[in-house]
Amino acid sequence: MKILQPNKPKSRVCVTGMGILSALGKTQDENLQSLRNGNSGIASTKHLLSKYTRTHVFAEVDASNEELLNAAGLAGQAGLTRTDLLALLAFREAVKDAGLYPEQISSAGTALLSASTVGGMCLTQELYADSHLQGTGSPYLSSYACGAHTLELAKRYQMRGYTDTINTACSSSANAIMLGARLIRAGKIKRAIVGGSDSLSLFTINGFNSLQILSDKPCKPFDEHRKGLTLGEGAAYLVLEAEEECKNKKIYAVVSGYGNSNDAFHPSSLSEEATGVVAAINGALATSDLDPGQISFINAHGTATLNNDVTELRGILKTFGRIPPYASTKSYTGHTLAAAGAIEAVYSILCIRHNEMYASLYCDTPMKEFDSAPVSAYTRHAGIDKVMSNSFGFAGNCSSLIFEKA
Amino acid sequence: MYIQDLHCISPQQTQTEPFFSEPLRHYTGNKYIALEPDYAPLIPAGLLRRTGKAVKMGLGAALPLLKKYPDLDGIVIATSAGGIEDSMKFLTQIVDYEEGTLTPTHFVQSTPNSLAGMLAILSKNTGYNTTHSNKSLSFEAALQDALLLFQEGACSSLLVGNTEQFSQHNYNIESLESTYKTEPVDSDKLLKSGTSGTVCGEGAAMFVVSKNPAEALAQISDVGQISSPGQEELHACMVSFLASNQLVPDDIDTLVLGFNGDQRYDFWYSDLISTLFPSQSVISFKNLVGEYPTASAFAVWLSTMLLSGQKCPAEALYKKGMQPPKNLLIYNHSKGIQHGFILLRKAV
Amino acid sequence: MDATELKQKLKAQIIQYLNLADIKPEDIKDDEPLFGGNLDLDSIDSLEIVVLLEREYGLKINNASDGRKILIDINHMASYILENTPAQ
Repeated sequence: MKILQPNKPKSRVCVTGMGILSALGKTQDENLQSLRNGNSGIASTKHLLSKYTRTHVFAEVDASNEELLNAAGLAGQAGLTRTDLLALLAFREAVKDAGLYPEQISSAGTALLSASTVGGMCLTQELYADSHLQGTGSPYLSSYACGAHTLELAKRYQMRGYTDTINTACSSSANAIMLGARLIRAGKIKRAIVGGSDSLSLFTINGFNSLQILSDKPCKPFDEHRKGLTLGEGAAYLVLEAEEECKNKKIYAVVSGYGNSNDAFHPSSLSEEATGVVAAINGALATSDLDPGQISFINAHGTATLNNDVTELRGILKTFGRIPPYASTKSYTGHTLAAAGAIEAVYSILCIRHNEMYASLYCDTPMKEFDSAPVSAYTRHAGIDKVMSNSFGFAGNCSSLIFEKA
Repeated sequence: MYIQDLHCISPQQTQTEPFFSEPLRHYTGNKYIALEPDYAPLIPAGLLRRTGKAVKMGLGAALPLLKKYPDLDGIVIATSAGGIEDSMKFLTQIVDYEEGTLTPTHFVQSTPNSLAGMLAILSKNTGYNTTHSNKSLSFEAALQDALLLFQEGACSSLLVGNTEQFSQHNYNIESLESTYKTEPVDSDKLLKSGTSGTVCGEGAAMFVVSKNPAEALAQISDVGQISSPGQEELHACMVSFLASNQLVPDDIDTLVLGFNGDQRYDFWYSDLISTLFPSQSVISFKNLVGEYPTASAFAVWLSTMLLSGQKCPAEALYKKGMQPPKNLLIYNHSKGIQHGFILLRKAV
Repeated sequence: MDATELKQKLKAQIIQYLNLADIKPEDIKDDEPLFGGNLDLDSIDSLEIVVLLEREYGLKINNASDGRKILIDINHMASYILENTPAQ
């Protein structure tokens, strides 16, 4: 099994802006406060229409589509899906945070690398009607594909440069961040706006339920009695810039390492040997040129499925020789699918920026197999300067990122 | 990076030599359906029974290559719609059974990355693995990702490819957007039809690419893209793209263009020819295999054939130039929004 | 419906739900293990069979542990169905 050992990079990849919407809030600050206070965003939903809202909890962004449209200054505009709207708002916060001018966003040297699994398939009824030729066509005909929101962002911001949408299930936006960092290091672009968006949908709710991995109660990552994931929604974007573009700019953190591997075992579960997990983690350590002992904290994938959590910890133990401090923020945001990598990247960077760790919620009984429990309380002055963030998806797609203090 | 080997499933006879039947397969109407192999010898029965067409075609094109090259460093796949029919079957169940107890197979198969995952499982490949799904720039993104891996020194060889299936559901949605012809047109008259709309195709093309030029069939030198440009901006971008590869337009001897018979949009190609490439050979491909978001993968397959000395079918020869193919440029766009370019060269 | 008829019907339904294209009902023995046997079924197939039981017979299997006791072979499945549906 080979580990990517790329040539030494020339330029550091700096994070200069972040934007995020999740069940914890519609801005970076709102998310930060909820994390610090240990307030989970998992609850009964207010806006989602599904039979499962009677029996299950979800992590919903607290806004109707109309409210999101208004917030985006697009009231009355047709054809925008919830996935589009979450993306637009998170993107707007990120580019403003990075202090980017319109000409910089639209320049050929700026890339847009995004991710989604649901795309416009959150519109179950419209998609059903359009695809069965019932009626003359909804306003969403070109909005269903997972790449549709990327095209929408590129159009709105008149982006001419490199665009891409990655779909590797739950590791999608982690791979988008990785690709952005690689393109910058290779000198192909100056900056990349990277991230992803996914909204709650009947498609994913019923999909995960059909696999019997959807929990009706709040998910319990790394708990001995966990019984599945809680679905969430959200979007996050990070602005990555080559270091030479960052004079007089605040730098949140540096993307210093990334690893990508395939577990090559089963379409919807990870191998007992944690092959993909181990390779992704080792890849990230190799590209960042760090030893495991230098990682302060791991933002785990931690979906609370029986398979993921045990496999992830086995993989961490194999690569680190021990289990460093770790937590799953999915206990706050639910599993935001393609957006998870980017949302959790934001949270990892908040740990570095504020030198703190946030509690992993709902873990009452740590897993018996390991002599370790996730971080259980908000911890300040925690000595956090290098954070690893893991994302493992269906079809064996495993990715790991490392962020370092600048 | 160098193309060492390739395999293509398409609406033409592209799977085994001699490639292309004589005469070429002609289509009337809007659906250009792929000629598929017998999958039973290629794909384990337990897998075959639950995979949809997009994954089957992708496996059918890739597995023979993975058998021949068992030590590849990664798998990079492009697909715009993925297992779209599986998605639609699952969605239909949700509506028909009102979110009752549902069967999971279609959900698991529907994700665009299921092909890349399946290929990894079947070849036990734990290397770099990703799926690009960016509508009509998906395959260009896959190529860029692969080129970057070579530039980084992160691999010696990779599998890169696409899959895209004809889906009646997707066709219905696109029809409501007036994407397709409303009158039946023969494929041999498609590009001169003078009417709006195009035709819908499907296919999977897989390539083993490596850093080794020895015995290569062709070289993929670079790939570029631009979104929503004006015509002048597109031309400037093209010139700049060539310049970054130490070329000027006159250095290109062969263009492979995505003409699709839609008179609303084909002017992008004819305009480019008259402005920058008035004397080059021009090859078309969508009159052979139809229009679909990752059709540029077929264009790379066809280009590789030409660069390695295969004869161009008459139906694909849009305009004959003076030079044999040596520096070849593929240009493809979708409705004037996403524009992609791929530069290929004869492997020396 | 008697047990023999039910077993025949079940076999045909399993073939249909799991898309076992090359297999005929007579190829499946009544006591052949569904999992770990010649049919080569996996965890996703078990979920499909759970759906089959609900859609065709109105029987709901609520958890994996119950499922493992019922989905052993055709004999066990048929007994479960006959025990849990009203006599015709």
